[in-house]
Amino acid sequence: MPQYKLHYFNLHGMGELPRMIFHYAGVPFEDVRFEPSEWPQLKANMPFGQVPVLELDGKLLSQSYAIARYIARQHGLAGQGDWEQAQVDMYADCIKDFMINGRPVHDEQDPEKQKVLMTKFASEKLIPHMAVLEAQLAKNGGVLVGKGVTWADIACYAFFNHATVKHPDILKDSPNMAALVSQIGSNDNIKKYLETRPAYH
Amino acid sequence: MLIETFYRQIGSEIVTNKSFKFSMAVYKLHYFDNPRRGHAELSRLILSQAGVPFEDVRFPHSEWPNMKPTTPFGQVPILEVNGQMLAQSNAIARYLARQHGLAGKDDWEQAQTDMYIENINDLLNAVAVPFVEKDPAKQKEMYGKFMTETIAFHVVAVEKQLKKNNTGYLVGDRLTAADLAYYALFSDFIEVKFGGAFLKDAPLLKSLLVRVRTSPNVKKWIDFRNSKYYPDGNE
Repeated sequence: MPQYKLHYFNLHGMGELPRMIFHYAGVPFEDVRFEPSEWPQLKANMPFGQVPVLELDGKLLSQSYAIARYIARQHGLAGQGDWEQAQVDMYADCIKDFMINGRPVHDEQDPEKQKVLMTKFASEKLIPHMAVLEAQLAKNGGVLVGKGVTWADIACYAFFNHATVKHPDILKDSPNMAALVSQIGSNDNIKKYLETRPAYH
Repeated sequence: MLIETFYRQIGSEIVTNKSFKFSMAVYKLHYFDNPRRGHAELSRLILSQAGVPFEDVRFPHSEWPNMKPTTPFGQVPILEVNGQMLAQSNAIARYLARQHGLAGKDDWEQAQTDMYIENINDLLNAVAVPFVEKDPAKQKEMYGKFMTETIAFHVVAVEKQLKKNNTGYLVGDRLTAADLAYYALFSDFIEVKFGGAFLKDAPLLKSLLVRVRTSPNVKKWIDFRNSKYYPDGNE
């Protein structure tokens, strides 16, 4: 088994998806977590001054979604064949869009401005694309692509597991997504991870 | 007429062809006619570099309301392959790169290629913020900050990786979609937005961009593209 080390803040953020893929696949890895105060010294060691970074045999890979895709492919969670893998990428990128476009909303300090940004984000991206995911789950028997769980499903889980803390109603109109989230969440490895995972922040 | 059935493996998929004429996947890439590069250009570069013919569909914005509901996510670009649709510009680019030998020669190289494509995606998202700013003074300030902070930092980091890799290319020892992705964005920065001064301390990156630009199939595409779609000389 390769010696994997994943470097990230002691937060969920963009590191949580790679972590969850490792756990779901039952692949051991060193979950290196550091506090924001340690970051300035560590930043220079990272190829693009960013984390998460996957360290494998001394080689470094950055970009959470490149890491996620790599681990998923190594451990049978990427889809069968190139076309399926592309479809998985497509759905995973949809979740990534949620995170990227949701960020400025989340970071906005002014409550009035935040409300405006939230409405725009919800109406232009979140709601219509969640509907697409919901329809695909209904059409494809409860997982997004092919016949089994892929990392796109795990990406949905990671996103909604985090989002439901502040927005408990987010899945109220998406029963299939709620079922997927519940299914991934009841995986033994994921359950075990959640028991010991540092609290949401 | 003889009808032969034969099987051809594409990746790990099996395609049945019932024809005496060998038939390849037919690619249709759909995007707006404006912007003329935008999120479709990387895929166009990949297909061109690979020497793969494709239908480069560019439709006017007035057609979009009719087209939108037919797309998986109400967005373009869309890649249509033998009647099936793939959305998300990077998923498309990655798929085409993998099908046509431009994604790196093993899984780790493919991951690095992914990483560089994601880097470019981040920069595109970052530059989009000043791009949509309406106040010209504020926009100028935001672009300035983007160049002196975000881009300056990134150029140093990429130059370091190029030096470390020591092949003249970002990944492995040959041209990949990673190099094409950097070319697509940085040529836009140089030619359309900012000029080339920001590369003055990055000779390896500078020469990589030239290497891509003058690579025969890329050159052929760019010359064709410029004469057909940018007759006024602009982006």
